[in-house]
Formats: sequence, C-alpha cells, structure tokens
Amino acid sequence: MANIKGYNMPDELYYHKDHSWARVDGNRVTVGMNDFFQKEAGDIVFVDLPEEEEEVSQGEVCGKIQSRKWIGKLVAPVSGEIVEINEELEEDTSLINSDPYGEGWILVIEASDLESELGNLMQGEALVSFIEAEIKRAEEERAKG
Amino acid sequence: MVAVWRLFKNTQRSVSTAEGLAVDDTLPESVSNHGSPPILHLYTFIPSVIVGKYQDIEAALKLDRCRARGIEFNRRSTGGGTVIMGPEIVALGLGINVDYPGLENGGVGGVFESMARVLVGALERLGISSHFQPKNDIEVSGKKIAGLSAAADTGNSLLFHTSFLVDFDIELMTDIMNTPVEKLSDKGYNCFSRRMTTVREELGEKIPVESAMEAIQRSFETEFSIRFREDQPDQWEKEKIRSFIKNRYTNRDWIFSHKHPRARMGVGRLKTRAGLLEIYLSLSGSSIESLLITGDFFSTTDAINRLENALKWTSAREEKIQENLSRVWQDNMIYGLDVPTLTKAILKAKANQVRL
Repeated sequence: MANIKGYNMPDELYYHKDHSWARVDGNRVTVGMNDFFQKEAGDIVFVDLPEEEEEVSQGEVCGKIQSRKWIGKLVAPVSGEIVEINEELEEDTSLINSDPYGEGWILVIEASDLESELGNLMQGEALVSFIEAEIKRAEEERAKG
Repeated sequence: MVAVWRLFKNTQRSVSTAEGLAVDDTLPESVSNHGSPPILHLYTFIPSVIVGKYQDIEAALKLDRCRARGIEFNRRSTGGGTVIMGPEIVALGLGINVDYPGLENGGVGGVFESMARVLVGALERLGISSHFQPKNDIEVSGKKIAGLSAAADTGNSLLFHTSFLVDFDIELMTDIMNTPVEKLSDKGYNCFSRRMTTVREELGEKIPVESAMEAIQRSFETEFSIRFREDQPDQWEKEKIRSFIKNRYTNRDWIFSHKHPRARMGVGRLKTRAGLLEIYLSLSGSSIESLLITGDFFSTTDAINRLENALKWTSAREEKIQENLSRVWQDNMIYGLDVPTLTKAILKAKANQVRL
C-alpha cells in the first residue's frame, strides 16, 4: 500500500486524473474513487450510477457522486461494457469513505481495449507527482482563504 | 492584461425556473465546449421553489400548496436541498473551468471557499460583516444569508449556484416545504427565523436587489482580478438554452426524477439535566440532510448553528454523529449537556423516522 502524504494509493491499481481507480483482473476492471477524492469530498451522500450493459469510453462520465451540495463526476478509467454495479451503495454510500478500495467499489467494466488504454492511466512516480501537485494546489487555496 | 469575463445580467424582469436554470446549465457547456471565458449570470426568479438534483421533490415539497399559491417548482442540476427563490433573492449561476487560476483543482472544499470569499466580499461592500460557514453557507452572526451548491458535469468546467437573500418570506417557506416541524407552526416559524437573515434585515433598510447584484459583480472583479463585459447568449448558447428548457426544465421526467435517496423525517425528544431536547431530523438515504436542535436549554444561536452545520450532509451513523459533533464541541455550547447525550437525542429522532 503506497502512502502519498497521508493518502492511501495502493500500488497495484491504475489511476485516472479525475480520481477514479481501476483494478485489473483479466479483462474485468473494478472501478472506484481514490482516497484523495473521498477525503476532499467528505461524506458521500448519493451515487447516481449507470445501468448494467451500458457501454462507456475511457474518460467518459459514467456516474455522479454527491457530497454535501457538490455533485462530482465518476469518470470511466477504461472503455467497455458495465457488467456489474455495487448495489450495497444504494443502502450505504459511506462505504466509499470508509473503504474506498474494498467495499466502496462502484462498478465493474468488461474492458474492450485494455492494453492500449492502461498506458493513459497513472501508477508509480507519475502518480506520486500528480497527487503531490493536487495536495499543493489544495494547500495553496486554503492558505489564501 | 486584465482578463475579461462575460456577464449575463438581468435586472429587467424575474424569469421562470425553466428559463433561469436552462441559462445556468448552458454556462459550463459554453465554457467547456464553445470557447467562452467564465460567465456570471445574475438574475431573479418569479416566486418559486427549487429542489436539489438528487432530492425527492414529492417528499420535500407540498406540491398542492405550491400550485394553490402559484409558486413554480423545479429541479436544478446542482446538489443540496430545497431553496425558495423570488424577485427579492439574487440567483447566481457561474460557469468556470476547474483549473481557472484562483480556483482549486481537485478538491471540493477549496472551490467552495473561493466562491465564499466572493460572497463575503459582496456583503462587506453592502456594509454587512459575514463569514463562510463550511461547507456551504455564508452566515451573519450565526444566521444563514446565502447558500452555495455546485456540479461538475461538462468536460473540465463547473457550475455554481448561489441564492443570496436580499429579502425572504419565511411564512411561504413553512407553508410549501415539508419539514419535521410542520405540526408546530409557530415553533416552525421561530426555528427558521432564528436561523436565517437577509440583507434588508441586517441593514434595516430596503436596498434594491440591483445593489446586491452590483456588489456581487464588483466582488468577483476584485477576487479574481478580472473585469466583466455585459453580454447576451449567442446563437449557439440560445440553442442550448432551448434544449435544456425542453429536455429538462419542462420535462416531467426531470422534475419528478426518482433518482434520489429515500427521504425520511423524524422527531426525537429527550429529557436531560440541561432541559428538554427536541431534535427535528431530515434524512436523505443514510445521510443527515438537515436537523434542528431545539428545546428549553441555555445556548446561543451561533452555538446551535455550528452544531447543526457540523452534521448537515454527513453520515447518520452513531459513530459519525459523535465524531462530527466532537469536532466542533466546546464546553457549555449547550449549558449542562455533553456530546453523548446530544447524540442520543439525535438517534432518537432517527429511530422515530417516517417516510413521507
């Protein structure tokens, strides 16, 4: 488990710049929101999910997540067909906060072009630089306030 | 060189909910897909009530009372709860890119703080001292005067909504909204009047709505070091506006959308050594949408407001309630009471919840 300045970002996952993560298991890709997102967003109060069997493209908005009065985007990290939705979230959206990489998973995509698309996602050093830049921006903004 | 933003300013007439909300939804679209700089839309609605994108409109509102009083109702595309709008409440829509200098990218809290600074600055220009009450409100001495909501939808851009109270009709609010306090009408009125204020109430004079719009406009210019160019929607934008009116704001499927968490309300009463505690709780799925802490204990409006705010839009699980209350708790916020007892009263309201 990589820890980047207090944010848990597991090494084995791939990360999209809009804060979704992807866990690859063959062609099945489980998707959720990362620890940075859930900490910044605060308590998640509603998740507006797509239907199973919908086709999504990498980078496409495939769901909405409301925290407080903010509605944020769930962006598909890879292209493919949505084959599973986490129905537990209908009852308890706080799973995204309490266990973002476990019980708080959001959906599963049967990927259609995994090999070429994984290169567009972040891991390792690229991820560390990205998260550090996001933290810096957040800190600068708070300092101004 | 000073950056120039566009300003759609409507001081001529109050608009329908469909028109106002459709223009607002066009703002981030235009910024993201039509090459526009940020656009600020300042206007007023006809008497109306607008629910958040993921609210159960039938649970939130007494629709028969809205119809009887000629109050329009609709659903906006940003989050949060019910807002009453009208000719004396400034409606603000802003479309802006998430990476615009001065707006924080990635975090929700910082983006709201940027917007809050603008509104606090606008109130300052009007002679009112206010502060940001995280996470979504602007307050004057513990009373709400403006609320913020937002959505990220199109590409890299955001839509902000604000309602800025120049004047407000609490009687109308208690008549058309479903609240857990409704059976106690006088108490309901008092609960809300102690939690809200307006520009006119604070100043003790009937300043025009246009002065509030002007103050907001100037505050944006100062905060972001920009200037505005007054403008109108172009052809591309007009087409978008027409499409949003047709597909969203006059479309029953949008207005009565069933994509929302379950709405429930409950009342909890608990005798404590501090006095009788009465909690009025509105739940949205597994979260607290709002709550009112009342009773015959000793406290201040400011303290009660801080406690209520600490719980709004947070998880209704016992450990989270305790944790969130403890974060803001100070000795004798409610004289003679402690966090576990207050939590117990809130859980009692939760246990008494009924579906509307």
